[in-house]
Amino acid sequence: MARAGAALIVAVASIASADRACAYTASGDRNFAATLVLPQLAPGDEAYFNFNTLPLSSSGPGTANRSYNFNAVYAKTITHDLGIYLEESYTGIGLQGAGTQWGWQNQDMSLKYLVANSLDHEFIMTLGLDREFGNTGAARVGASDSGATTPQLYFGKGLGDLDIGYLRPLAITTFSGLTLADAAPRPDVVSNGFTVEYSIPYLQSKVKSFDVPDIVRNLTPMTEVLFTSPVGRSFGARTTALIAPGVSYAGEGWEFGVEALVPATRATGTGVGIIAQMHIALDFFFPESIGKPLISTSYP
Amino acid sequence: MKRRDLLAAGGALALTVLSPADGVSAQATGNVVGIQGPCMVQRGGGQVPLKLGDAVGVSDTIDVPANGKLKLRMSDGSVISLAAGTRLTLATYQTDAAGKRENAQLSLAQGLLRAVVAPVDHPSTFEVSTAVGTAGVRSTDWFIEAKPGSAQVGVLTGSVVLTSAATHRSETIPARWGARLEAGRDPVEARVWAPQEFQAVIARTNVP
Repeated sequence: MARAGAALIVAVASIASADRACAYTASGDRNFAATLVLPQLAPGDEAYFNFNTLPLSSSGPGTANRSYNFNAVYAKTITHDLGIYLEESYTGIGLQGAGTQWGWQNQDMSLKYLVANSLDHEFIMTLGLDREFGNTGAARVGASDSGATTPQLYFGKGLGDLDIGYLRPLAITTFSGLTLADAAPRPDVVSNGFTVEYSIPYLQSKVKSFDVPDIVRNLTPMTEVLFTSPVGRSFGARTTALIAPGVSYAGEGWEFGVEALVPATRATGTGVGIIAQMHIALDFFFPESIGKPLISTSYP
Repeated sequence: MKRRDLLAAGGALALTVLSPADGVSAQATGNVVGIQGPCMVQRGGGQVPLKLGDAVGVSDTIDVPANGKLKLRMSDGSVISLAAGTRLTLATYQTDAAGKRENAQLSLAQGLLRAVVAPVDHPSTFEVSTAVGTAGVRSTDWFIEAKPGSAQVGVLTGSVVLTSAATHRSETIPARWGARLEAGRDPVEARVWAPQEFQAVIARTNVP
């Protein structure tokens, strides 16, 4: 039972890591689109909400065959370079022939610090530290009794500083994290992911403006890939791999994204799922109140 | 009467008509309240040096040399600070009888300016045009810099709408944000500016 529980935790976590996802961030003239599966690159003042569902590998009647996640994240900057994230997730686990069990995931909080931001080279590096508080969620939906701490490393690089013509709107972001469980039987897990995106707004503003409809001007096609793998004693957990092709539409101060969730291993899922997300930039709508850092610079 | 209104009224009284010695009889719209270096004004085909207290008016083109800075207080109470290497033309600056701004159109050929725009209680415009686009505001403290082939805007308070002259696409820039515009293209997506970016433009436009 412990092995099955650990496997469910990793499988759901690989999808529910979408929870921590997202929010745009910028370096120079590059705006990295809000991601839906990978965590965001850098601190910000924002709120976002997403829903995802994915078929799971069922091993018989009464075992999980689909997951549903509703996620809400609130992010607040403490300084321009340091921010805190608070996250809540409500999960449903569909059981083969036995309905769906619903419950909260463990509470999650993270800190992110922007280490480097090269405006000219559209390069960002961020360090993060995520803390999941054990025994704060429902075990029936995979929430572990054990908490976990995850040091994280993020990179973002836009290719706009390179002389590559129409490929300049391309950007790549990466994410690496090592989740260290507080106690067995929860396994330690290493997570790695990357995003490749092609920003039409960047094309229009930095390369060449084409006469295209508004809906196209604001699109950023992107694909996210996330791998998770147990390290050390696995407690039955297996490697998961998720590929998420989709698109993000950017309005003024908000973004809406939708992606397919394509499992690349049986431990991840058995069919194509979907994730959709609405992201609101609080620093755009409330720049002089809740949208600014708690400790901000005052200017003469 | 509010302090701001008193300032505006005072400014309107002080700014009457440019003296014939200055070369024209244009209506004065502001005066020099801070100056560094040999700043000049082109007026009526001639060029004259500016000094503290001088009036400037519509159609004047102000040149700030590489070793200079200039601060103007306009008739509506707005304050415009020009960084070194800036060329600015006061195309239009209309106020009502109470000294409240109705329509201000500035043309920034090159360089950097900071505008602390006085609020008004009726519809009005305050626009700065560059070769690549126009930035329009109502009440705000902001910066605009014109370079060959591009312009960029940073906003400290209020908001600015930056519009491309070529594509007519606009980008709204809220407080603490900034955006760039390149010739012939849409504005770049706005983003939060780092404190260092604001400090840099403040230092360049600060006139003691």
